[in-house]
Amino acid sequence: MKPETFPTDYGMWRLFARCGPIFMATFFFMWGVLAGNLPPAGAYLDAAQIKAHYIDNGMAITIGMSISMVGGAFYMAWGCAVSQVMRRIEGPDGMLSSIEMMGATITCAPVIIACGIWLTASIEAPALQPEIVHMLYWLGWMIIDLAYMVTTFQIFAVSIVFLRDTREKPLVPAWVNWWGFVTCAAFFPVSLIPFFKTGPFAFQGAFNFWIAFFTWYIWVTAVSIYVIKAVGRLQIEDGAATGSEAAHRSAVLAARTA
Amino acid sequence: MTELISANHVESRRLPGVEGVWVFIAADMAMFGVLFVSFMLERLENPALFEQSRRALDVNFGGINTLILLTSSWFVCLAVDAAKRDQLPQVPHHLAAAFVCGLAFCASKAFEYTKKLSAGISMLTNDFYMFYYTLTGMHFMHVVAGCVVLGVLWNKSRAGAFTSDNRVGIECGASYWHMVDVLWIVLFPLLYLLR
Amino acid sequence: MVILLKPVSLVWLVLMLATCVTTWWLSKDAFSPVAAAVSIFLIAGFKVRLVLLHFMELRHAPLPWRLVFEAWVLISTAAVLGIYLQSPAA
Repeated sequence: MKPETFPTDYGMWRLFARCGPIFMATFFFMWGVLAGNLPPAGAYLDAAQIKAHYIDNGMAITIGMSISMVGGAFYMAWGCAVSQVMRRIEGPDGMLSSIEMMGATITCAPVIIACGIWLTASIEAPALQPEIVHMLYWLGWMIIDLAYMVTTFQIFAVSIVFLRDTREKPLVPAWVNWWGFVTCAAFFPVSLIPFFKTGPFAFQGAFNFWIAFFTWYIWVTAVSIYVIKAVGRLQIEDGAATGSEAAHRSAVLAARTA
Repeated sequence: MTELISANHVESRRLPGVEGVWVFIAADMAMFGVLFVSFMLERLENPALFEQSRRALDVNFGGINTLILLTSSWFVCLAVDAAKRDQLPQVPHHLAAAFVCGLAFCASKAFEYTKKLSAGISMLTNDFYMFYYTLTGMHFMHVVAGCVVLGVLWNKSRAGAFTSDNRVGIECGASYWHMVDVLWIVLFPLLYLLR
Repeated sequence: MVILLKPVSLVWLVLMLATCVTTWWLSKDAFSPVAAAVSIFLIAGFKVRLVLLHFMELRHAPLPWRLVFEAWVLISTAAVLGIYLQSPAA
């Protein structure tokens, strides 16, 4: 496909594609490790225990959550980069590409808001009644988990479009897109979270934490790897199409990376 | 016409359908596997409660549901086989039969759930019933999705979409449906029969 | 009745019979819980393999894929029975 009248900023595109791994690393280390969510303090803990959790880990949670709030936005930037690759397959007015971009952007909302709530809890906990701290804890979890459908739409859109790629070697391999469907399926039981404090379907449970989150982590990572590569491939394709001065260089590059 | 053609006619090894569907199937089965283990570990904590709760389940429902799903899988196999042999009119017939079996399973499950719920047993009653409802419930949703898939395949096969040269779609749908069957083959004894 | 002569039909028949045996015979109180559990689950594993290999055609699939699913059967059956045998009733 020929690039449009306006030149494509491949450098910026690649930068935003790399926001995917940046989001993953930030979220995993700041939210997961530092703020103590691997696994999270359980839904079965009572108010006193949750308050104690915040008192004991206050500074770590404060730092982890505040950085996570900033990191959340990188998911949006990544989503835009992915959308631009999708448009090369679906067409510039692609509806699924638009849904993907919106899905990625709105996904930031539950992440950022929940982290903001937990951040507040970590700062205020010493002065608050245990029941209030407990409520803030649950508020964050309900928001970050139950809003999954926004992300489901994003993942679904990505998977469908990249499966429709007619290139002999698709930009994103089929298995990654089918893993996308796996992730979508893994999200649905998250709706059971409000009802269980223990077991696999509680928010810390084997299914609704370990499986739900990690299928999504794997998807984000895999799509990021291929989208970052895709920008490079599209740049070569564009160069060959326009027959620009760089075409010769591109052809050489293409031969080397084939 | 009556020769026993077995699947051994394939010369090289191949997966039916597309590989991506098998990624999905493997992952789905792995997830249920985690839940099977989760159930067993929970059962270890409270065997008396689990056994007492299990006794309220109707083994006949479960057994008949297994027979229904096995038969539906058989029909799906026959449909795929008919496509392989270019017996195009047979394909929708077998798919329709499989679909009817799927609906029968859904009806049976709905009836069973209704009976339990009117007896005041819900997924919040105790841990056994949490697993009973969530495991069979998740499986039920897979069956419903499978029925939709069978319906779509049936519709396409009526137009002769699936032939020996073009059976990727029906093979993908078939593989998914068989997975749904496989899951129930384990779920049924796990929940209903394990004393 | 050409259909009943196909190999898949034989497999189906075996599956149906195995189901009847486990559901309405092995589950009876005449069998000890352990004997019942072990035999029922070994049969379940056998049934799953029949569906995987014959209905899902894994017999003719690339070996790595077949092994993944054989492993699933092995691990699931072993895990369920292994944990079951830890419980006091067993």
